Amino acid sequence: MLLDAVRREALPDQSSDPRHAGGEAGHHVGSPASGRAAAEPAGRGIAVTVRDLHKSFDGNAVIEGLNLFLPAGGFTAVVGRSGCGKSTLLRLILGLETPTGGRIDLEGPAGSARRSEPPKRIMFQEPRLLPWARVVDNVAVGLSGHGSRAERRERARAALAEVGLADKAGQWPATLSGGQRQRVALARALVSRPGLLALDEPLGALDALTRIDMQDLIERIWRAQGFTALLVTHDVAEAVALADRILVVEDGRIALDLRVEVPRPRRRGDPDLARLEGRILDHLLGTPQAL
Amino acid sequence: MRPSKLERLRDTALPWLVPAVILLGWQAAVSSGLVSNRFMPAPLDVVRAGWEAGRTGELWTNLGVSTLRALAGFVVGGGIGFALGLANGLSRLSERLTDTSVQMVRNVPHLSLIPLVILWFGIGEEAKLFLVALGVFFPIYANTLHGIRSVDPGLVEMGRVYGMSRTELFTRVVLPGALPSIFVGLRYALGIMWLTLIVAETISASSGLGYMAMQAREFMLVDVVVLAILIYAALGKLADALTRQLERACLAWNPAYRSA
Repeated sequence: MLLDAVRREALPDQSSDPRHAGGEAGHHVGSPASGRAAAEPAGRGIAVTVRDLHKSFDGNAVIEGLNLFLPAGGFTAVVGRSGCGKSTLLRLILGLETPTGGRIDLEGPAGSARRSEPPKRIMFQEPRLLPWARVVDNVAVGLSGHGSRAERRERARAALAEVGLADKAGQWPATLSGGQRQRVALARALVSRPGLLALDEPLGALDALTRIDMQDLIERIWRAQGFTALLVTHDVAEAVALADRILVVEDGRIALDLRVEVPRPRRRGDPDLARLEGRILDHLLGTPQAL
Repeated sequence: MRPSKLERLRDTALPWLVPAVILLGWQAAVSSGLVSNRFMPAPLDVVRAGWEAGRTGELWTNLGVSTLRALAGFVVGGGIGFALGLANGLSRLSERLTDTSVQMVRNVPHLSLIPLVILWFGIGEEAKLFLVALGVFFPIYANTLHGIRSVDPGLVEMGRVYGMSRTELFTRVVLPGALPSIFVGLRYALGIMWLTLIVAETISASSGLGYMAMQAREFMLVDVVVLAILIYAALGKLADALTRQLERACLAWNPAYRSA
């Protein structure tokens, strides 16, 4: 069912979307590449505007005057050293933390009523599945408060098929491998057709090959569904492989804002990607850059 | 290679070998006059006493009275402990208000209250109910509270972000997460329940298994005394087995509780 819905939607249009092209330039900060990010295929994405954001914990400033615009439907990666505030930024955008100052505006697709706005979802570093609920019921958690139990299960099954785990629907999470659990978590995040999907280092605990599979899966589903994706990661290679825009966060501010112009599907080991990765790593490690 | 029939029989029988030898030795020791049957009745005498008490109906009446007392005390004390454990696990205010008091009272051995309880309630049903309820209250309370405290905060946060209502959050995340700990409290409480009842019935009662044992002592009916002790053991084992079944059914998701 979900699969069909996905097929019906157009594949992402890689050309820039005129609707957002003009309005956003002012929000970019120190950006060598402040253009329209990816396309907006289904028009379901949520656009995020962050203005002069401040957040401090017990007097320690973590985010200090951050400005940001995430166009609807784009795939943005946030990288940075640990403790730079990248996870806090994501949690603030999701509403899991309250900002100390500044504002965050989420804008759903034009014309959608307040009630029917696509939800925002997050994938955590750990799967966070309910161990006492079967896999299908865990996915149905993503539909809390929508429709009957049978309907929720039906949609949950479809979402499981989408991540290739249709046959695991009746199992307990404890019987799955780490990668499978994270795929269940992905299905749970996607089953409600979110407008914004935040990924908080969701692949950090997986082995290298499973990671690559998951990256491909996430990219494929993002291209099909057209939500706004925000990936926080410390793996620069992952950011470069997935995102069409990379933000480097340093001392609570955006220090670097780069477009990734390499067309999709991207080949691993592509020299352009490697060059970009090197450049970001140089920046993070503080070595002088040859730009 | 699959074990042969004989090997399987041996594996089933082996754990029963030691008890069987002890029983036989015991019977032989008493029958041969090595041990006086005034102090220790032979196993066959105990069986005979059980048969006799069962025939007159005395055993069933006393068993029924004791079971009812145990259950009533358990429901009252366990119910209050569970409710207060939930309240204190979910509400800071409730915890601040009551937890310290509960922890103070917990240090009083509940059986030391027997003289006071007899003064208050006499040797009627209330005395037993009060003692059992008090004994059962603490393990249920402490483990329910601990269970709710130890629910993974990551799961609670997930439930919130995914739009669960407060009720859903409780029934789908908090309560199932606390359940393993609640079961630990339940099994503790069952042990305390029987122990308290035995002591209370032995000291002050006019019916029940403990009373039966004390009566028998008056008339030097050692076999009935031993019978009562064995029945207590069997009841305790039964309660434990039932809880185990319940645990298996409720915690099937947990690999630690899954039946082989």
